[in-house]
Amino acid sequence: MNPPHAAAEAWEGRATPLSQAPMVAGLQAIVSPERVLHTAAQRTPFESDGLTAFRERPGAVVLVDSTDEVVAAVRWCHETGTPCMARGSGTSLSGGAVPIPGGVVLALNRLNRILDIRPADRICRVEPGVINLDVSKAVAAHGLYYAPDPSSQPICTIGGNVAFNSGGAHCLKYGMTSNHVLGMKVVLPDGTVEELGRDSLEGVGPDLPGLFVGSEGRFGIALEVTLRLLPLVPSYRTVLAAYHSLGAAGEAVAAIVASGLLPGAIEIMDSLSIEAAEVSVQPGYPKAAAILIVELEGEPVQVQAEMVQLEAILRESGSHEIRPARTEAERQLIWKGRKSAFSAVGRLSPDFIVQDGVVPRTRLGEALEFIDRLSTRYGIRVANVFHAGDGNLHPLILYDGREPGALHRAEELAGEILTMCIDMGGSITGEHGVGREKLAYLPHMYTGADLALLHDLRKAVDPGILANRGKMLTDDLPPDPGAPDAVELPEQWPDDIRAKVQALQERIRSRDRVTIRGAGSKAVQASDDHAAILDAGSLTGVLEYNPAEFTITAFAGSRVADIQDLLAAEGQYLPFDPPREDNATLGGTIACGLGGEGRWRYGGVRDFILGLRFLDGRGELLYSGSRVVKNAAGFDLPKLMAGSLGSLALMVEATFKVFPHPEASGTVSVSGPLSDLLDTMAALSCGRHEIASLVLETAGTEPVLHIRQTGRADQLPARLADLQHTLGGSGTLLMEDQALWSGMSEWSRDRSETVLRVPVCPSRIQELAQGLAPLDMGMRWGSGGNLLWLSGAWQDRIEPLLAQFGLTGVVLRGPRAPRLVGSWREPRLLNRVRSVLDPKGKLVGGLPNRKD
Amino acid sequence: MHHSIDLTELPAAGPEMAEAVSNCVHCGFCLPVCPTYSVLGEEMDSPRGRIFLMKEVLEGHLDQGSVQPYVDRCLGCMACVTACPSGVEYGELLFPYRAEDHSQEGSSHWQRLRRRLALSVLPFPQRLRLALRLGRWTRFAHRLAPAGLQPLTRMIPEQLPPRVPQPVVASPAGKPVARVALLPGCAQSVLAPQIHADTVRLLTANGVEVVRPQSDVCCGSLDLHAGEAEAARTHARHLLAALPTDVDAVITNAAGCGSGIHEYPLLFKGTDDEEAMSDLARRSVDICSFLARLPSLTPMRLPRPLRVAYHDACHLQHALKVVSEPRMLLGQVENLELVEIGGDGFCCGSAGIYNIDHPETADRLGAAKAAAVEDTGAACLATGNIGCLNQLQLHLAGRGLDIPVRHTVSVLADALLPSNGPA
Repeated sequence: MNPPHAAAEAWEGRATPLSQAPMVAGLQAIVSPERVLHTAAQRTPFESDGLTAFRERPGAVVLVDSTDEVVAAVRWCHETGTPCMARGSGTSLSGGAVPIPGGVVLALNRLNRILDIRPADRICRVEPGVINLDVSKAVAAHGLYYAPDPSSQPICTIGGNVAFNSGGAHCLKYGMTSNHVLGMKVVLPDGTVEELGRDSLEGVGPDLPGLFVGSEGRFGIALEVTLRLLPLVPSYRTVLAAYHSLGAAGEAVAAIVASGLLPGAIEIMDSLSIEAAEVSVQPGYPKAAAILIVELEGEPVQVQAEMVQLEAILRESGSHEIRPARTEAERQLIWKGRKSAFSAVGRLSPDFIVQDGVVPRTRLGEALEFIDRLSTRYGIRVANVFHAGDGNLHPLILYDGREPGALHRAEELAGEILTMCIDMGGSITGEHGVGREKLAYLPHMYTGADLALLHDLRKAVDPGILANRGKMLTDDLPPDPGAPDAVELPEQWPDDIRAKVQALQERIRSRDRVTIRGAGSKAVQASDDHAAILDAGSLTGVLEYNPAEFTITAFAGSRVADIQDLLAAEGQYLPFDPPREDNATLGGTIACGLGGEGRWRYGGVRDFILGLRFLDGRGELLYSGSRVVKNAAGFDLPKLMAGSLGSLALMVEATFKVFPHPEASGTVSVSGPLSDLLDTMAALSCGRHEIASLVLETAGTEPVLHIRQTGRADQLPARLADLQHTLGGSGTLLMEDQALWSGMSEWSRDRSETVLRVPVCPSRIQELAQGLAPLDMGMRWGSGGNLLWLSGAWQDRIEPLLAQFGLTGVVLRGPRAPRLVGSWREPRLLNRVRSVLDPKGKLVGGLPNRKD
Repeated sequence: MHHSIDLTELPAAGPEMAEAVSNCVHCGFCLPVCPTYSVLGEEMDSPRGRIFLMKEVLEGHLDQGSVQPYVDRCLGCMACVTACPSGVEYGELLFPYRAEDHSQEGSSHWQRLRRRLALSVLPFPQRLRLALRLGRWTRFAHRLAPAGLQPLTRMIPEQLPPRVPQPVVASPAGKPVARVALLPGCAQSVLAPQIHADTVRLLTANGVEVVRPQSDVCCGSLDLHAGEAEAARTHARHLLAALPTDVDAVITNAAGCGSGIHEYPLLFKGTDDEEAMSDLARRSVDICSFLARLPSLTPMRLPRPLRVAYHDACHLQHALKVVSEPRMLLGQVENLELVEIGGDGFCCGSAGIYNIDHPETADRLGAAKAAAVEDTGAACLATGNIGCLNQLQLHLAGRGLDIPVRHTVSVLADALLPSNGPA
């Protein structure tokens, strides 16, 4: 495998069309001249980001003071063919913010306004230069916080987090940046400004924020970002456990995961990184070969009980010192040591490379032994600090750049680690992104048609190769020559699936119009009678399920009910809680972006889909994502497909992240005037009670609010009693609530009724309840008030009425269902994506048919 | 960050300078704590950016003059040193670098004149007294002073405080628990002589004998922090000669002076005075640190309840790491409610002669700090540095606030009970 610089050199020679003087003059016509930095002394400090192995000098740096200036500068760059890229705080660890040689750097760090905080909707809208931690600081007064917490959170900006889909220590439970971005305003490389996503927790149509997040600047620049906020964690219990070997710490992780606990974070540091942290910020870690940091979070009584369980596991796992944080100050110190570890290593070595590969969690021990052997073989010290819960390694490879050849050998070692991650079925990057550093390795993770697809998407959106050129994809090198035609079907597939997929490919290629059908639960009535049906419902079966990995891979025609039963037998579940009625399939669930009411707590389909194999409108069998719980390599197409309504792809095989199933559940239902219940909802949304689901029914004579809590059976009654106390003693308690909630998920029992799913905001419920009343349809406000279910007889006035309120919905059952209705307008980004995936407009689905 | 700095081309402090560059991993943890980065929002005006720039100059890739404005704009507050996980001793790069930097390309004519005036007057009490008397007239006609000189003239107080006579040796009532020398100080002894008097009262009340050197010599910190190394060395040598040797400690009550003395070893590295200066640095201690280390303290009580906000002088907090001691001492005073100042924790903009050198940046920082002080609702602001004291007084007054800014020792001395007065 070639070290990264070999590939990088290939595009270094690419000149920008403009020399520096006209570039500076052109930019100075857009922003005030003193904000166009052009002297050597001004440009030099921008040459590197958080990874100093790479340096490039930009032609000019623009200190941008408004998003309008960003748009004007991007347009100017587009018109003049000048490559440009955005930079926030310059903390990328993959060289993602290294300038394009001779190109333009747009410094966005001054765009740091928090534009809007809407506590009742649990969202806020920010400019891209806002610092990650400043979001949490700004919303804390409302009882909310922003969950993604990269170690650089006091410095890194939301714009950079969005570009590289940053993670952090708490990804196992809460996911990465992309799980917390609901909507955005972006400027595409051609200067088009458009809105992606929305201000609701629920989505409709292909998930474009999901595609944009992690695109490493190749699709343009985010101008405004709408973030999902979570209620402040009511209580934390953080514990340090010391081990005599790294392997023992790794086994402890497996034991914790197997126990059914779902900690917020599970981290490991080895002796070298402990040493560095100790010198740096004196966290007072115990002397050990490895320490494990586990953080539990939730309502105090629940966490207390979990802590007893956790300590027993840790004792059994052979920890020689277990030290729970007794105060918040002690907890902060534990995290300070962990989060300073990268920089602290600067005390041990003048230079280091930090890697970010992911391996399946169950193979952590094996991976660490392998790294240890490499370290010995190369005679290079490697410090390990990693997100053990996610299998996300961070080996820090220490070298001295002054020694000839030292960087090269360090890169070789890093390359071997990445190869190992790929060989183990993992990813080359969990959260730092490919950037410039791992350019040479992406083609090892995605090959042939899968890699070509990434290039094709980039070309379709940015044909001039202007936006953050040279990151993620090696633009000057042709993609791997493996001919797309020669794509082989995965070896582990059973013969009947291979035959069926081949037949489907054949059918797509030979027909002009095709429409996809799973088990028919969404009552597909193709809008085009001439479209040939693609039967995906018989692609069934589970390919891989290892409960200890928290992942399952199954064919997309598999019935949701079967998968749920299989998971339940192992005490696990799909946290987005998909409806299982009518033989619903996984593929249809993805295509419709459907989740049940459990979505309120942890997120929807888009948040739990990790990898996807699909057939596109060309009949190509393509793969995107990975089978591990954390991955930031390449464009995130699995997310894009959530809500794609059969217009982008036919799902063949999908990998989902799963969670341990809570032991018990209970529901408190309160009734009263709508405005009272809305106040209650708003208060609970930002409150100290951990709520699993929140649904408001306004159909009956008096509105009812159902509040569900889940958790340990021994603590649940006390928690529910506490909740009732908060509610002023009102409400009825239901402990056996399964029937109530499965009824809630089944969107309509009466198959003759039209059913629509419309994303909304809790703060608009009052207005919409009145405005839509003339339809005289049943209304239920699910997922914490973010989703309106409309059911009843179809009426032509539905569409204009939704449009009038600026709403877009999906007709799940009804005329030409499933399809989008309301104020939908296809964003240009989606248009470009469709031009790649379905160039001939063959796929007839729920989006308006493609016009080129 | 690796570098190709040629140590043979550097002054004696070269290895320390190179070490600072080498330890920096460019992670950016210094960005959010840097006042100039916050105000100016550009990488060149951040610690990480300045290290990069100084490295490039030392490597011979950039011309010193082109980099000078950015290095010059650094307050030297050292907040970045506290924040740095990689242990970069930024001051060990910055101060020797400044000392070697004689380019003035980036400075304006007025800036150079202000700096020269300030450095040739402030460290010399006689000249300062004279200048302030003359300056009263300029202040009277402040608006008539050339705009370029106004940052200097506006600092001139309306009235000079009366001189406070100081005994050569102040002894406690009983047998002394320690014997210390008090750093004489220069500008402070003219602008606020009460601080010394209060320091002496506080020490003797706690059983400490205080020796006061006869001449009011400057320690050289103002010059040192402004990059005038040779002038700083001259001052330091005079100070060393003036200090008695038979003392347990040399007490400083101005943060800038305390931290300057701790930089002597590097300033004198490779000279004959290196050892003596290192010894002086070891013996010098901030007044609050010294008091906090005493086995017991005399009880303190204010006559009336008072809410006091404490402002961390950068050189105390970041250079000398004196953070908890002043709070602990103030916390012991009965009737005193200690409150923390919110906001970003930035420097107040005083930073030696920075408010004279870079008035625009200093004003923004001063105004922000004054606003944060107002939010505390405190009736009094305590701090451990004369520079901060003047800067904050100016900006609090600018907000129309009548909050006295006092040295920590003065607040503490007010709380001494009558029975604990000096002998």
